[in-house]
Order: sequence, then structure tokens, then C-alpha cells
Amino acid sequence: MPPRRASSARKAARRLAAPLLLLALAQPGGAQPLATAVKAAFLPKFARYVDWPPQARPAAGEALQLCIIGSDPFGKVIDAAAAGQRIGDNPITVRRLATAQFAAGCHIAFVRGTAGRSTSRLLQALRGMPVLTVTDAHDGSARGMIHFTLADGRVGFHVDAAAAARSRLSISSRLLGIALSVRQKS
Amino acid sequence: MTPFNRLVARWRSVPATAAFLAAVLLLAGLGIIFQSERAYHDQKVREAGVQAEILAASVTAALDFSDAAAAQESVDALRVNPQIRAAIVYDGDGRLVAGFERSGSALPPRLADVMPREESVIMATAPVIRDAEGVGTVRLSLVPEPLSRRLARYSLIALFVVMAVLVAAVLGLAHRVLGRANRELEERAGALADANRELKVQIDERAKAEEQLRQAQKMQALGQLTGGIAHDFNNLLTVIQGSADILQRPNLTEEKRIRFAGAISQTAARAAALTSQLLSFARRQPLKPEVLDLNEQVLGMADLLDRTIGERVQISLQLAPTLCAIEVDPTQLESAVLNIAVNARDAMAEGGTLTIRTAEAEGNAERGRALMLSISDTGEGIDPEMQARVFEPFFTTKGVGKGTGLGLSQVYGFATQSGGDVFIESAAGEGTTITIMLPCSDKQAAAGESSRKSRSENPALVGRILVVDDNEDVGAFAETLLGELGHQVVRATTGKEALRLAAETRVDAVFTDVVMPEMGGLELAEKLREQRPDLPVILTTGFSDRIVTSGSGGLPVIYKPYRLETLAEALDKAMRPDAEPDSSVDGRAES
Repeated sequence: MPPRRASSARKAARRLAAPLLLLALAQPGGAQPLATAVKAAFLPKFARYVDWPPQARPAAGEALQLCIIGSDPFGKVIDAAAAGQRIGDNPITVRRLATAQFAAGCHIAFVRGTAGRSTSRLLQALRGMPVLTVTDAHDGSARGMIHFTLADGRVGFHVDAAAAARSRLSISSRLLGIALSVRQKS
Repeated sequence: MTPFNRLVARWRSVPATAAFLAAVLLLAGLGIIFQSERAYHDQKVREAGVQAEILAASVTAALDFSDAAAAQESVDALRVNPQIRAAIVYDGDGRLVAGFERSGSALPPRLADVMPREESVIMATAPVIRDAEGVGTVRLSLVPEPLSRRLARYSLIALFVVMAVLVAAVLGLAHRVLGRANRELEERAGALADANRELKVQIDERAKAEEQLRQAQKMQALGQLTGGIAHDFNNLLTVIQGSADILQRPNLTEEKRIRFAGAISQTAARAAALTSQLLSFARRQPLKPEVLDLNEQVLGMADLLDRTIGERVQISLQLAPTLCAIEVDPTQLESAVLNIAVNARDAMAEGGTLTIRTAEAEGNAERGRALMLSISDTGEGIDPEMQARVFEPFFTTKGVGKGTGLGLSQVYGFATQSGGDVFIESAAGEGTTITIMLPCSDKQAAAGESSRKSRSENPALVGRILVVDDNEDVGAFAETLLGELGHQVVRATTGKEALRLAAETRVDAVFTDVVMPEMGGLELAEKLREQRPDLPVILTTGFSDRIVTSGSGGLPVIYKPYRLETLAEALDKAMRPDAEPDSSVDGRAES
């Protein structure tokens, strides 16, 4: 099903390209900054569709940590996006980490390699931890559980449900529903 | 009458109960349809709400991530339901995100815009909620199944209802028709009963009228008869009275005395013949066939016929010289001839000739030898169509009170009962001939004349005779006659006296009247037989019902008026011990 679904999604995307473009133009910056802004807006929202294992789940009132590991492409945009979102009782805080060493408290981690540490190495370090890893196709082919990509000028993402399952995360089918493709858990 | 009027008229004939039942059935059917229609609508409203909620849930993420394509996908999934006319998703700001409109018309771009809607469309709106926060709205319009399809579904119910209504109507109609038929039958039965009653009353009235008519006819006939008898008898009595008066004159020559005595004798004989005929006509004599000579019988009736048919009609007798004997009841034969003669007379109002012929008919294989007695008149004749009916009882062409219609039927009955037949020949204006066929008998006709002669040759016996009669004159006359014959006479006026005399004195024979007060002649004879079984008893009477009906008990009877010779003969015969018993000696004069 996913290929067919994805193609229909593309068709729909073409149809709705103009409004989205308008939406994107409302943001400051050019085409690339626009995509970055969209991704920044998306990142806190993922928390809504992910279920963490009990010990990793943030307690009531406690902040949900969105970590930017490696280099940060977002800057203040992500701080603004996180500030506008609440997941239930939980506010979202943004942490920036150079390495995965202190990523234990993170719930969502946007991973972007640096010159010293490639994305895949960072991801390797996070393996097994109950952290939703997010990568960007713009930065390379290494894929986290969610992998941003730009299709027909529109920001979409692939979901690797199998990898999430290995880290004891479950991703809501609603999110899977809007993903460009889903790697199902076996 | 238009078909509608006919329907209305027919509908009126359906009884109220059936109409009520049909109305109830119709209402129930409509109620069921209405109820299910409402239930269907409610269900569709719920369905629309549920569908909207499902859609809202499924587009939450798409709205979250502003993924119009994904939202469109979710919306498009609803296209498979043909009843969903339109499905639209708006984001939290009320802007159109995705949707479809089946008819292809433009989607309202904002939530606030009113969707163009049809009458029957069901609208449902559901908020898209994320963490208790509305992020958008889903709007759904759903068209229920087309009315025609729903009606098709209801048509089964309607069919059942219509059938039930029809059944009720037909049953009611049948009931009404049956009821009407029953009423009509009852009415007809009532009318029939009325008609029957009416008929019975009419029959009774008619019977009463007929009875009255019969009575009137009887009285009329009786009047005619008594008048006729009085007339005839007065004539005869005139002769007798006149002759007797002349005989009482002194110095009468012997020649005159003999002539007037002879006149009295002859006239009395005619009177006797007349009463005899009357009695036979009235059938008051015991009926029994006798062997007799037809010519002799016809000649014997000549006087009677003369008197009956009047002076304007001539009687012509054409009798064959030798005829075989016949065995018939002479009384009935007389009646038959008289009946035919009376009809002939009535047919010849202007006068004419009555011809009586006797002849021997030609014998054939079917019947043996037979005699033919035909009586012809020269009257007006009888129509051919009436000829067949003249022998029917009560058929008459005569006016009311003139005839009983029994005359020719008696002729027919007599002829056929005697083994013969009767025919009628007639032509209008040429008279009528009625022919009676009578079979010949092998027996010899009794020749009264010769036997009398032979008897008179014997010397007469004389003795002491007891004469019993309550009438003094008749008794005295009998005593005179018996004295003339040389007998001694003892007289008694009652049965008792006779019994006493018979016991006390010598009596050789008893000559007694039959009809007497206290003790009749038959009773006396019976008592005398106990006393003196060998004593001969001779009965005499003018007329006795008892002898007619039950006979004389073997005793000789002399009918009044009797002649001297008859009395002598009877006494002689009774007093001879070897005499053959003869129950009836007709003492009447023969003419």
C-alpha cells in the first residue's frame, strides 16, 4: 500500500502546493529557510503521536525534552515552535547537545552530524534508548525513526516504525497515515 | 354511470365494520411506514455524525502537520459511500483544507460560508480535537437513500396492507351480498307463503261456491223431476179417477164396465212402469247383470222415452229381428239409453226424429260377436273437437243448471264395464249417432212369458194367509185379492199382532209389508222363522232402502204396485215345498 498511497499524496500535494507555498512564504527567509522553519514547527508536534515506555515518559507537569544533537540548523525558530506547543500537561523544552553522551533525558532528538561525528554515528549512539530520532535527507542518507525529506517542494517525512519499536516507542497510526512512507515493524 | 360513481356505489355497499377494518389497516400501514421513515432518518443523522467524527479523528494528524494531501486522502476514503454527498475539512482558522463535493460544485472556502444544501440532505459537523483543543472542523453532508428506493422498500408493506384491505373489503362485500341474498330469499319465502295462503283461501271459497252450485243444481233437478212426475202422474190419475167414477154409475153396460176397468188397469200399469224407471234412473235398485234380449229392453223403454223426449220428437225403432242374448245390468242399460235420448232431445229443440237401431255387429278377431245399439238424432250435431270430450265426466255444452255433464260419462262407463264400447259419429247440421257395442252372451235370455204360462197350468194351491200391513186400505185390498184367489185371510196391522196370530191360529203363509213402524217385515220374518221355520213368508214393498242395500235374506219380494197374477204366482210358488227359491219376483206390469 505505501507506494500507491505515497503517489496519491504527491498528487494531492501538487494540488495543494499553492496554499502551502503561501503558508511558507509567510515565514521569513527563502526556500531553504522556509523548509527549515516547517521542520522546526513539525518537531515538537511529533511528541503528540509517540508513546514512550513508562519509565521514559515525562511525568505530569514535567517538560518533554526536544534535543538537537550535533549541529543546530534551526536556531531560534525551534525554540519558538517548542514554546507554542504543549503536549497535554507537558511543556516542551529544547536542549542542544553536541554529542549523544548526555542524551539520556531526551524524548525527541533531531540528529545532524558534524564534521567530527557523522549522523550515523550519532544515531548509533542513541540506539536502544527510548528516544524518537529525527533526521533530515538534506543532511545525508542516514535515517532516524523519522526522516524529513522535501518532495515536490513540500516537507514530508518517512517513518521507520520498526526502528521505533526496537527502542520501545510506538508511533500513532495517525502519524503513519500522513507519512510519505512507513517501514513497518516486522 | 362513470367508473368512479360505480366505485362509490360499490364502496357504499361495504359494511361499516369492513370499512373500519380497512381504514385501521391503512392507518397501521401508514404508521409503520412513517415510523420506519423516521427511524431511518434518525439513523442517517447518527450515521452522519459518526462518519464526521471518524473523519475528524482521522484528519487530526493531517491538520496538525498541515498535510492537506493526507487530509484529502482521508476525505476521499469516504467517496465509496455513495450517500455522502460532500465531506469538507477546515483547519483551526476555519480555512478549507480538503474535501470533496460529489456534484462537482465548488467547496465553500471557509467554515463560515454556508454550504448550498438541498432539502433532504443531512448535515453533520464534528470538531477536530487534539488534546482537548480544536484544531479544525469536519463538515459532512449526507443524502439519504433516494425516496424512490425507500418507497420500493416500503412497497412490500404497502402491498401487504393493500392486500389486507382488499381482503377485508371483499369479505365485507361478500358478507353484504350474502346478507342481501338471504333477505331476498326470506322475502320470497314470505311472499310464497302469502300466495299460498291466498290460494288456499281461494280454493276454499271456490269449493264452497261449487258446493253451493251443486246444491242449487240438485234442488233445480229435484224441482224438475218432481214437477215432471206430478205432471205424468196427474195425467194417469185423471184416467184412473175418471174410469172409476164411470164404473160407479148404475146401469152400466157390461161392455162399458170391461172397457173402463181395462183402462184403469192399463193406466196403473203405465204408472207402475214410470215409477220403476224413476227408481232405476236413480240407481236405487240392486245392480246386477242379467241375461236379456236387447230388443225386448228397447221396446220396454218405449213409453218412458215417449214421455221423456216430448211430442216434438218422433221415435223410430229399427230393430233387427233375431239377436243374440246379452248380459248387462238392465237398469244401467235403461239409464244409458235414456241419457242418450235426453241429449238427442236437447239437440233437436225444433223437433226431429230419434232413431233407435239394433243390429248384430260383424265379429272380428279382437272381440267376439257383439250387438250394436245405435241412437241417432237429426239435431245440430257436435263439433269434431268436442266429440272427443263428450264422454268426459262433467263435460257439458248445456247451460248452467241444465245438465250435470254426467249423462254420456255414465254411457261410457256402462259400455266399457259391460265389456263393450261406445262410439260417437257426428257432423255439424247432420245430427249425431251414438253407438253402444255390447258383447253377445252364450246364455239364453229368460223368457218370462213362457214360464208364466207353464206355471198357470198347474192347479193352484189355496190356504190360510196372514196378511200384515200397517196401512188399513192396502191390507184390505190384499185381503180382497187373496179372497178372489180362493185363500182364507187373517189380517194383522203390526208385527207383534202377526206373531201372536201365527202362534195361536193355523197359518199356511205370511204376506207382509216390509216398511212398518216398530217391527219391520224382515224382522218379523226372522222371528217367524224361529217360531215356524217351515212357514213361507212373502215380502212386499213399494220401495225399501234396506232390501236394495242388503237384500231380502232369500225371501221372495213382490214390488208394489203388483197385479193379481203376480201375487197368485208368488203365493203358489212359496207354498209349494219343492219350489225353487226365487228371491225376487218382479210384480210390475210389463208394457
